[in-house]
Amino acid sequence: MSRESSGAPEVGRSLTFRLGAGLTLLFIFTAFLSLFWTPFDPAAMAIADKLQTPSLRHWLGTDHLGRDVLSSIMAGAQTSLGVALVAVSVGLLGGVPLGLWAAARHGWVDEIVMRTNDLIFAFPALLLAILITAALGPGAMNAVTAIGIFNIPVFARVTRAAALALWQRDFILAARVAAKGDVRISVEHVLPNLLGTLIVQATIQFSLGILAEAGLSYVGLGAQPPTPSWGRMLSEAQTLTVLAPNLALFPGLALTMTVLGLNLLGDGVRDWLDPRLRETRRS
Amino acid sequence: MLKAAIALKSERRKSQEFLRSFLLILLFAAVSASSALARERLVLGLQMEPPILDPTAAAAAPINEVVYGNVFEGLVRFGRDGSPEPALAESWEISPDGLTYLFHLREGVRFHDGSRFDAETARFALQRVSATGSTNPQKVELAAIQAIDAVDELTLRLRLQRRSSSLLQTLGGGALVMVAPASAAGNALHPVGTGPYRYSGWRRGDAVELERNRDYWGSPARVPRVVFKFIGEAAAAYAALMAGDIDAFPNYPAPENLAQFKADPRFSVFVGTTEGETILSINNRKGPLANVLVRRAIAHALDRQAIVDGAMYGYGEPIGSHFPPGRPGYVDMSGLYPHDEAKARQLLAEAGYADGFALTLKLPPPPYARRSGEIVAAQLGRVGIRVSIENVEWAQWMEQVFTRHDFDLSIVNHAEPFDYVIYGRDDYYFGYSNPLFKQLLANLEDANSVLERTAVLQQIQQRIAEDAVNGFLFQYPKLGVWDMRLKGMHVGGVVDNNFVADAWFDEADPVGAARQKSAPPWKSSLSGAMVAWSSLILVIGLAWRYLGTAMVLRRVAILAVTLVLASAVVFIALQIAPGDPARYMLGLNAPPEAVEALRHQLGLDSSPGQRYARWIADLAQGDFGTSYTYRVPVGTLIAERLQVSLPLAVYALFLAVIIALPLGLIAATRYNRPADTILSSLNQIGIALPNFWLGILLVMIFAIALRWTSAGGFPGWDGGFWLAIKALTLPAIALAVPQAAILARVLRSSIVEALPEEYMRTARAKGLSHGRAILRHAFPNALIPVLTILGMQFSFLLAGAVIIENVFYLPGLGRLVFQAISQRDLIVVQSVVLLMVFAVVSVSFLVDLTYGLVDPRLRHGGRAR
Repeated sequence: MSRESSGAPEVGRSLTFRLGAGLTLLFIFTAFLSLFWTPFDPAAMAIADKLQTPSLRHWLGTDHLGRDVLSSIMAGAQTSLGVALVAVSVGLLGGVPLGLWAAARHGWVDEIVMRTNDLIFAFPALLLAILITAALGPGAMNAVTAIGIFNIPVFARVTRAAALALWQRDFILAARVAAKGDVRISVEHVLPNLLGTLIVQATIQFSLGILAEAGLSYVGLGAQPPTPSWGRMLSEAQTLTVLAPNLALFPGLALTMTVLGLNLLGDGVRDWLDPRLRETRRS
Repeated sequence: MLKAAIALKSERRKSQEFLRSFLLILLFAAVSASSALARERLVLGLQMEPPILDPTAAAAAPINEVVYGNVFEGLVRFGRDGSPEPALAESWEISPDGLTYLFHLREGVRFHDGSRFDAETARFALQRVSATGSTNPQKVELAAIQAIDAVDELTLRLRLQRRSSSLLQTLGGGALVMVAPASAAGNALHPVGTGPYRYSGWRRGDAVELERNRDYWGSPARVPRVVFKFIGEAAAAYAALMAGDIDAFPNYPAPENLAQFKADPRFSVFVGTTEGETILSINNRKGPLANVLVRRAIAHALDRQAIVDGAMYGYGEPIGSHFPPGRPGYVDMSGLYPHDEAKARQLLAEAGYADGFALTLKLPPPPYARRSGEIVAAQLGRVGIRVSIENVEWAQWMEQVFTRHDFDLSIVNHAEPFDYVIYGRDDYYFGYSNPLFKQLLANLEDANSVLERTAVLQQIQQRIAEDAVNGFLFQYPKLGVWDMRLKGMHVGGVVDNNFVADAWFDEADPVGAARQKSAPPWKSSLSGAMVAWSSLILVIGLAWRYLGTAMVLRRVAILAVTLVLASAVVFIALQIAPGDPARYMLGLNAPPEAVEALRHQLGLDSSPGQRYARWIADLAQGDFGTSYTYRVPVGTLIAERLQVSLPLAVYALFLAVIIALPLGLIAATRYNRPADTILSSLNQIGIALPNFWLGILLVMIFAIALRWTSAGGFPGWDGGFWLAIKALTLPAIALAVPQAAILARVLRSSIVEALPEEYMRTARAKGLSHGRAILRHAFPNALIPVLTILGMQFSFLLAGAVIIENVFYLPGLGRLVFQAISQRDLIVVQSVVLLMVFAVVSVSFLVDLTYGLVDPRLRHGGRAR
């Protein structure tokens, strides 16, 4: 999709976008960096060095088994990124085609897709995730499945709503006149025009995914040790809040900053797309 | 109050002398009553809630922790050194051939229901253990008994087929306490024993309450009421002690905090030992692990002291075999395999595994297991054994490790006394089978003197150690923390119980008086159901009025279909879930027949289809079924939990609205000005805050640093309305802040969207100020999206509070589901999930309905969105 700067503010200039993109990039960079390098081995225990306060050697201190907190947080970024990425992909791959299909076909297809969505929505998200992990056993992969399943109807809904509006538009009519089939129209004309909306929704689901993973890990259903996870760090820190408050502080901060970054990024992208959307609404 | 009395004195004339002294007496009485009240209730914290209170029906250490010695007594009990001493049997005689035991029973003993205890009752209690269909965990231990006779009213005779030198200690066990024919069947829910305390009430998920038995045969208990409060999380236990919500935590789960308690003059700390051997269990059946050289290599690779230091903060004694240090017959085997990585590698090479191999380590939930597990994995890694950790729930552990033997390594604390006998069971989960060892067990039973018995016990320990059956880590320590003023607590011992009859408070406790309002056991009431039904009728009535018949019918149909599908989804999901509730309830040493008997009792032996049909049929009649673990109606459980969850959700929603409305309005009226920018930034942070982290922060600030409120737990509504509200305040704030941020944002943007509308220009033109125009015209129009969000949030708050309930240890619906899942109490999970689905669908229905109320244009068949 081509974009001229027709009165819309340059995306790079918005503070929201810059802050969001900065934080998000920091998060992604940290996750990748931790694949190759962390100050210490995040799994290496040194029981003699346990519960140290932040120092030059251990910037964020050490936990109850003497592991370096900074290293664990860095490696935890990997888990968060991985889980959220897969969960969003599951949602996109499952939800977008369903939404497109429902919008293109109307009628009973639409009805079935949407009622199935309603059914999934009727389960409180976290409860569903807990049920799934209870059935499949705790672990990062099952957390992904649980979060991903809930993402499918979200994307299906967003896609369907936006696609329905597009189907009313003239260029789709033109494509129909050109005897293109539903599938071709959906892929060639509807989908490209949905990208903005989907990107915004993806950043939202991404940050929700990170929160959900942390929550599941906090109650012990997410990533299992030794896989580092922010949520589990928080639950381990909870008994130690008096001895070592820093243990509860830093993983939470990392979590909040990451989610904040993604939300800001999503807002920035939406602000950028919004003028164009308003334009199209008027036409 | 004293001031009042003095003022009173100065005001009164001499003629009113009488009145004055009368008032002073009243005052004095009030003061002394309140200090007496302070000593009236002892609150003990326990980590695990017992599923039922009948120790003869299911093995669960938590049952004994509450009832053994307090409610129920056996013929024999254990002295401080672990040897049998008289309890309900005053004395006994053993025939020289060791085949006949004569027990002389105590006179004048009565059960709590007034019925007499005599030889006939004792015979009944013991025979019941061996009866078919009995789920008694000690059933097999009585196998040597041939006949039980009541010789006379107070003499009981046991005749044995073969000698059983362990018989006396067996009779002291928690599952062989004396029960009466009339009350035995009901003991699961309402235990009736002979002990110094009688059962008084049980608020599930929260506390069991006992009251003093005035007719006790021995010296009566000193504290009139005892409350056992269940606090699973270490953090919540810490907070509850600090806040003074509990007077003692006899099995304190977090050794990391003990140093602080020791330093704090308000507490005394008890460090002792338990009967629990914490072991790295090894699956002796499997591959390399079947090789004794490999198991010895593992033993050499373990640095026990490092494990004790790292996982237990130095508490716990390293062991070398399966026997508690200090008990009669103990021999120290801990030096047999010193920590020696070179030796371990050499042994592995000898066994043909020079390059190491891979194992999985399945860890149950308690912190000792999870922490030791991480250290063990690292230590084994150093000698080339690659260990991957898999954390499991107890139910999964029971299923995979214990029942199906699907594991390589695990870590578990074997808490039962005298449990070296498990090494003689081929089918036991670690799969040790050695005929020599079985011979030793037979020799032990046949021993005819203490000396002979001790010698065999030592051989037993040596045999286990030499075969390196398991990795022996440490003897689990008994770590108790209690209020300085609390004296006379007897905790620990062979049956790990908390004997409270001798406990008393050393001085008056003026601080505690405030929280001494004794809560009567919760009584199930129908008011909740009444409110629910009348609101349902009201809603349907309104719906009919505003939405029209077709719409209502459509919605009801959707609701019904959703519920049916949801019930199927939930049921199927839970069928996949591994774990057997019967196995979970009966514990580690339960014989398979007992498990089968319980499965039958619970109806678990019928097919999934039959169970689904029965569940749905019962539901249709308003019956949620009976909880497997608690054995009470699920409806009652849910009603109890709703008393926490519903108010919490409403409270949080209320806070969210209170915070969001002004913020959203201010931001909108100052659109694009500094105030708006600042508020929007704050909003962004609010949305990004994970509510459980916020909860932890709030606890750190308000409960631990400032000590304004307690850090968790729920006193119940009977304890006083404001007390309950206070307990819900921090959790409600933690839940409300992120929701408020979302709400404020939605409100702001919907008002901002309305700003360029024609009607706003008209409003300004007719002379309304900017703020007034927004309040009068833009705000009402912004309500529809706000209501939609509110509806979604309410369902989220009701169901999604699971994590917050964990942070604050609230006995709400979320925790009920969570706990039920881990206990495999499937019927509870099914019903609660379905109820939640019902709530979500109803709320969205309700929201649709309110659109009609807010926007008159949408009435009569119109639809929002």
